[in-house]
Amino acid sequence: MTDAAQLPLWAAWVVTALALAGAGLSLVGAIGLLRLRRFYERVHAPTLGATLGMGLVVGASILFFSLLEGELVLRDGLIALFLTLTTPVTLILLARAAVFRDRTEGSEDVPADLHH
Amino acid sequence: MTDTLARPDLLLLSMILAPWVGAVLAGLLPRYARNGAAALSWVVALVGLVSAILLYPNITDGPVRHEIRWMPSLGIDFVLRLDGLSWLFSVLVLGIGALVVLYARYYMSPKDPVPRFFAYLLAFMGAMQGVVMAGNLVQLAIFWELTSLFSFLLIGYWYNNQLARDGARMALTVTAAGGLCLLIGVLLLGHIAGSYDLDVVLGAGDQIKRSPLYLPMLVFVLLGAFTKSAQFPFHFWLPRAMAAPTPVSAYLHSATMVKAGIFLMMRLWPVLAGTEEWYAIVGTAGILTLLIGAYAAIFQHDLKGLLAYSTISHLGLITLLLGLGTPLGFVAALFHTLNHATFKASLFMAAGIIDHETGTRDLRRLSGLRKAMPITATLAIVAAAAMAGVPLLNGFLSKEMFLAEAVSNPRDYDRNLLLPVLATLASTFAVLYSLRFIHQTFFGPPAQDLPSTPHEPPHWMRFPIELLVLICVVVGIIPGLTIGPFLATGVQSVLGEATPYYSLAVWHGFNLPLLMSLVALAGGTVLYVLFRRPINTNPHGGPRLFRPFDGVRIFDGVMNGLTAASERGASVFGTNRLQPQLRNIILVMLLAAVLAALPFWSGLGANGFTLTPPDPGFVVLWLLGIGCALIAAWQAKYHRLAAVVMLGGAGLASCISFVWLSAPDLATTQLLVEVVTTVLLLLGLRWLPKRQDAIHIPPSEQRRAKARRVSDLLVAIAFGAFTAAIAFRVMTMPAAPDGIGRFFLEHAYEQGGGRNVVNVLLVDFRALDTLGEISVLGLVGLTVFALLLRFRPGADSLSAPEQQRVQRASDERHETRQPGDTLQDTMLVPRVVMQWLFPVIVLFAVHLFLRGHDEPGGGFAAGIAMSIAFILQYMASGTRWVEDRLRIRPLKWVALGLGIATLTGMGSWIFGYPFLTSWFRYAELPVLGRVPLPSAILFDIGVFGLVVGSTVLVLIALAHQSLRKPRDRAPAHPPAPPLEEVV
Repeated sequence: MTDAAQLPLWAAWVVTALALAGAGLSLVGAIGLLRLRRFYERVHAPTLGATLGMGLVVGASILFFSLLEGELVLRDGLIALFLTLTTPVTLILLARAAVFRDRTEGSEDVPADLHH
Repeated sequence: MTDTLARPDLLLLSMILAPWVGAVLAGLLPRYARNGAAALSWVVALVGLVSAILLYPNITDGPVRHEIRWMPSLGIDFVLRLDGLSWLFSVLVLGIGALVVLYARYYMSPKDPVPRFFAYLLAFMGAMQGVVMAGNLVQLAIFWELTSLFSFLLIGYWYNNQLARDGARMALTVTAAGGLCLLIGVLLLGHIAGSYDLDVVLGAGDQIKRSPLYLPMLVFVLLGAFTKSAQFPFHFWLPRAMAAPTPVSAYLHSATMVKAGIFLMMRLWPVLAGTEEWYAIVGTAGILTLLIGAYAAIFQHDLKGLLAYSTISHLGLITLLLGLGTPLGFVAALFHTLNHATFKASLFMAAGIIDHETGTRDLRRLSGLRKAMPITATLAIVAAAAMAGVPLLNGFLSKEMFLAEAVSNPRDYDRNLLLPVLATLASTFAVLYSLRFIHQTFFGPPAQDLPSTPHEPPHWMRFPIELLVLICVVVGIIPGLTIGPFLATGVQSVLGEATPYYSLAVWHGFNLPLLMSLVALAGGTVLYVLFRRPINTNPHGGPRLFRPFDGVRIFDGVMNGLTAASERGASVFGTNRLQPQLRNIILVMLLAAVLAALPFWSGLGANGFTLTPPDPGFVVLWLLGIGCALIAAWQAKYHRLAAVVMLGGAGLASCISFVWLSAPDLATTQLLVEVVTTVLLLLGLRWLPKRQDAIHIPPSEQRRAKARRVSDLLVAIAFGAFTAAIAFRVMTMPAAPDGIGRFFLEHAYEQGGGRNVVNVLLVDFRALDTLGEISVLGLVGLTVFALLLRFRPGADSLSAPEQQRVQRASDERHETRQPGDTLQDTMLVPRVVMQWLFPVIVLFAVHLFLRGHDEPGGGFAAGIAMSIAFILQYMASGTRWVEDRLRIRPLKWVALGLGIATLTGMGSWIFGYPFLTSWFRYAELPVLGRVPLPSAILFDIGVFGLVVGSTVLVLIALAHQSLRKPRDRAPAHPPAPPLEEVV
């Protein structure tokens, strides 16, 4: 990380701003996960970090390394790609499990079985 | 014959290598290739024999040696050494081997898997050559055990016969135990002489006899020799070994293997013999064996049994001659060894022919075969006469020398009548049983009730007997012109300057030995005439007074005692319950570790380390990790899911620690391992018993349970504390300037060709450790597989899980839905994503693998990544769907991985380097560019394959556990293939 000093000042500002904004969004998501009451509300909160937050941090990283290495570095884009692909899987599985449990327990919270 | 052919080292090598190569080739032949296997074995024996004959001119002056470096650091080289004595034994082994092969071709039934027989026979031949040509004591002991092993396999060749199995096991137990004693003996001998090299040992005779270790060494060496050569009281295995096919009895148990003990005593005769201890032990064993064997032989009803006891008796005779410790005794012993081999092998073959033609070997049933098979009868009569010591046959000559030695025993205090009288008595017995053998089998009225009608055997089956009997006669008439020079070379090679004057003439004038011979001949005949009837009607088939000394009974008693004792030991010290076993193992391990660590523990403060100020982030991370670990332990009993999740948290903490401390390699591996472990643990959770609050536990039990848990906690804490202490001690050690860490950092690229020091360490510098570790990993996978193959879950986890039942019930309520639809719907999106990610993860694994040598990655991480790809498919689509499309065959992966890793290691032998030496260069590959290609990458492929195989094996075993039909589920699907088939 000693090379970071070679970065132009404007770029340092932009990278910092992007990274901080991304981290901030993720923090908001984490706080939401903690504070919101119901499962179906809470399940949305971390997506802040997984979508826009992640995008901003990846943007910061791409900018940083592209400037440092003097060419466009796109490999961090893979992180965005794979996170976008895989996060929905987790969410779908979690939500389905929750719906299943609530239905089995006869909770009022969820819509009744559509196939009834 | 060209010069290359005549090179002694090549001839030496071909004498020992030909049988081994032949054994492998014979083993590869088709199951019923009787002629092919016999022809191959015949050629092999001839190659060895011709080599031996070509070498003879080289060995008349002294031994020929050929050395191959083997373990120079231990002073052990592979030395082939041929002198007069070993030449005689080699010719015996190869020559009689060739005849036995010819005989066995006709003896063995075409229905038997004969190539296996010949493979064992050739391997035995190779082992025997190894014994007699060994120039190094340790090498001799190794080949010695090999002869025991192949004798076991040959005796047990008809393994569906109970007698064969028992006889084989007994022979192996006795002779292999003797072989272990021999190993101790030669180690002591090598220690005394200062070298294991035979020539050095043979030159250190005085030193050896003066050594305080002489007696223990002698006892151990002789235990080896006596068990092998069936000396009393270890003789009992030999009659039992007669369950072997007759060619084996003729070869191993009369001519060669039982002579290995004799050979050993002859080989070491110059340095061991001549002392009082030698005379007492060897002489006593010899005379007892001679008498007991001859006496027991009289009463045998089984042809082969009679020959077996007669063999024991003759071996005793040779041992006695060696025990006398006189040079002339040695000459007689060597001569009798050769003679005995010729007449006894031919007698065994004759017995085999009789058995083959008549269907029985019972002397009481056989009679008058002289008419049905006149030629065989004549041959057997001549051979038996040689056995009895009738003049003009070879047996007479050596027996005469024996009697002469018995009369002229030079020891003053033994100058009494005992030895000559006993010798005459034993000779009388020999005449008696030889006569009985001949008379019962060939004379008298033709037997009526034989299982098959006897007639002469095929000519080539009889040919070996003809040749051997011819030798008996020729040697018996003109010994000086035939066997004389070879015998002289053999005697000379052992006795050297001390070679006495001896005469092989048939006629020495009318002297005391001749008188004794005549007494024995007459006495034996008279005794036979007198006692023929009671012997033949004796129902026991053995002498009565030996019951208490019966070796078989003692052996069985010892074996039963051992079994009972081990069972008692297991019931006292063992337990079937898993927890106490684990606790005991851990406690013992802890104790061992503490004891091992104590000497290196020089106090905590001695290192003078200073604490660096802790980084708050790191502290928080570790507090989280510790918290997760504690909760996991706390919840492990009743909330296993929570415990597994918490375990994952603790794992992640250590993973991040690795990143923090700049160890990306460890972090990658740790992360991947965490993923796989968690998934496999979750899969296993379903089969653990549920908590049942309804069960009432009495207070006393509660107290015991609490005590047990406290003790478990203490064990866990002790172990953790110990590990932590070790880690602390190691990490606070001052880094030595020339320490091993620095060495690896400096030499990783230069010698291992990689910049990733961890990977170079794993696959190059410490590759042997890695080989051991992946073997263990493979074993773990196999063990889990084997355990789950027979696993039957508890009653409460037998039925389908509640979720599955509810879902199915819901699906069944709707007319439009099939059972399983809910699951299908739920998994729709995840399934698509996981399926599409499969090639991506495989690519990632390849990526990890290829970059491993220079950057974080490597075979292990790649293997784990690859197995994650498989696990995801199983999770996404279900076992049936995956296995319809993709059979992973993890057992093959395991085998291939281990095989590749081992072969890579052995590959360096071809270039003359030690096991697992690596070599590297860079290669320009299309598309991929410049790629490092060390030979270690092959090894890494092995690691990769094994990791994939082992992990997926566990996965598949667990997955199939869920496929087994619980009772309340209807068979909606076709049954899944059995687990054994998918792996």
